[in-house]
Amino acid sequence: MNGAKQVFVAKGISRIYTMGDVKVHALRNVSFGIETGEYLAIMGPSGSGKSTLMHIMGCLDRPSSGSLYLKGEPIDSLSDAELAEIRNTEIGFVFQSFNLLPNMNILENVELPLLYGGVPAPERLARAKQVLKAVGLQDRLHHRPSEISGGQRQRAAIARALANRPSIVLADEPTGNLDTATGKEIMELFDELNLRGNTIILVTHEREVADHASRIIYIKDGQIEYIEKRVEV
Amino acid sequence: MNLVEFMKIALFSLSANKLRTALSLLGIVIGVASVITMVALGTGAQEQVASQIGAMGSNLITVSPGFIRGGGGRVSQDVADIFTLELATAIKSTSPFIKHVAPTSETTALAIYSGTNIRTRVVGITPEYKEVINHYPLVGRYIRDSDVDNSEKVAVLGSEVALDLFGAENPVGQKIRLIIGERRHTLTIIGVMEPKGQVMMSNYDNRIYVPITMLINRGLTTRYVDGYSIEAVSKDVAKAAVKDVEAFMTRVLKDPDRFRVMSQDTILETVSQATSTMTLLLGSVASIALLVGGIGIMNIMLVTVSERTREIGIRKAVGAKRKHILAQFLLEAILVSVCGGLLGLGVGWGGGYLISNSMGWPFAFSLPAVVIAIGFAACVGLFFGIYPAMKAASMDPVEALGYE
Repeated sequence: MNGAKQVFVAKGISRIYTMGDVKVHALRNVSFGIETGEYLAIMGPSGSGKSTLMHIMGCLDRPSSGSLYLKGEPIDSLSDAELAEIRNTEIGFVFQSFNLLPNMNILENVELPLLYGGVPAPERLARAKQVLKAVGLQDRLHHRPSEISGGQRQRAAIARALANRPSIVLADEPTGNLDTATGKEIMELFDELNLRGNTIILVTHEREVADHASRIIYIKDGQIEYIEKRVEV
Repeated sequence: MNLVEFMKIALFSLSANKLRTALSLLGIVIGVASVITMVALGTGAQEQVASQIGAMGSNLITVSPGFIRGGGGRVSQDVADIFTLELATAIKSTSPFIKHVAPTSETTALAIYSGTNIRTRVVGITPEYKEVINHYPLVGRYIRDSDVDNSEKVAVLGSEVALDLFGAENPVGQKIRLIIGERRHTLTIIGVMEPKGQVMMSNYDNRIYVPITMLINRGLTTRYVDGYSIEAVSKDVAKAAVKDVEAFMTRVLKDPDRFRVMSQDTILETVSQATSTMTLLLGSVASIALLVGGIGIMNIMLVTVSERTREIGIRKAVGAKRKHILAQFLLEAILVSVCGGLLGLGVGWGGGYLISNSMGWPFAFSLPAVVIAIGFAACVGLFFGIYPAMKAASMDPVEALGYE
């Protein structure tokens, strides 16, 4: 394995949740590598552990055992503050339910990661506007999330994920709350991002969505069932 | 991220839920306002007392017979026997720190002038008394040594007595009748005192001054006086004068319980101790209101934190650190309590002003109380905000996002 070229290397990671007396093995000894610039889909039935894996890669959660390397650096020894910084600068997260702050307008939502990243106000505004223009929301800057359509909300969420120019975009069921046509538009946006060199990792249980990726990891019961390499489209 | 940006976020969150913010603000407003009002009224009372004691004459010392235990509050005859006019001279010569000794005697009498009669206090005095209590005639003259020597039937009226008996008429030269006990006396008015007002417990304007000899010889037919008012040479030696007088009286009476020496200092101390205790008490009661307000903030903040779990999760997911979340929620709590403090300051000041105006109570707006109240409010915000803020900051991002 070539560490420098791989954005993620997982070495035997497990994640165990303790719910009362019951121990739930969400991930069991999972190992894999993800190449820089790869377009990867993770598929599996609900409860298979794919979201858990996503959270661990997104630095929102830590593995119970095993190691995860981000760009060759082990991240399990990092502090909470350092993880927050990685979430801020290295990773853009897109959620199924958009997770925009309802009291803020689209522009303010997109500015949020830049705010925590310490980007000064004028540059923040310029960058947020630029990235919103890139996803086609330049006319919706001052709308609240509740005032725009689901597709537009997901575009705003993608804009937020891209605002701090991360190299990795993680998307957890990004089309799950959208109709087919809008979902297609969002997927085209991801395709475009991948063409520009971003590493895209998405979790889905829809075959059509996963078909956009160049590699699909199937997960079942917390373990990798098989990996499907697809021909470049 | 700088403070201004944190402030913006905090203000934004606060304005997003106006009613809730207003309610938690109200708790602090009431708390701070009551502290400000109570302390201002207490300090006002303290200042009034101090100025009244000052008005009694600057270096006043009084000597009076002590009450014998079990005597039903009456002065025993053997003690009263000592309190003579002559003792005044003896007291004066006992200490170099004494300027004047004025023996006094008091009784209640009915004063009559052309059909009007009023019940009033008659105070027998010597000429020194005016300097001792710092109270001088406005019209006419005061009691003279010759009046005292001859037990002259002359009187100086307090300003209220003059107004009640004579109205607009000039009393000087007129004659009034005094009924003291069973006896009637006709006295010539020689002067009217300047108004002095209510000082401590006694009204100096509702009195008639007569030569002390006239009162004890002709009126009460006794040889004894009620006590002595002593003026020390200066404020600095007042304590030394008190010591000398006490030593002298102990020599004469052989028992420190058979007389009482009170100086202005001891009165001032006693009274200001009482009023500052009152101020402290009022302030502490009001502080409880502030404390309750703080608990209100904590309560609201806890609700806010659990209600905004998802927001916290989102903020963390996009890169907010623990300290960012902590600062945001802490700042919200402090903003509420400082704004509440400032509003409470206005309300407290206005309320105190209204109360003092309508009730005639003195009111002193003290800067330390303001600083303490605002500072205390900020601390309340900090103290009661820190737990909810820590709770928010330590949330697990995955759980906060509402997964699983």
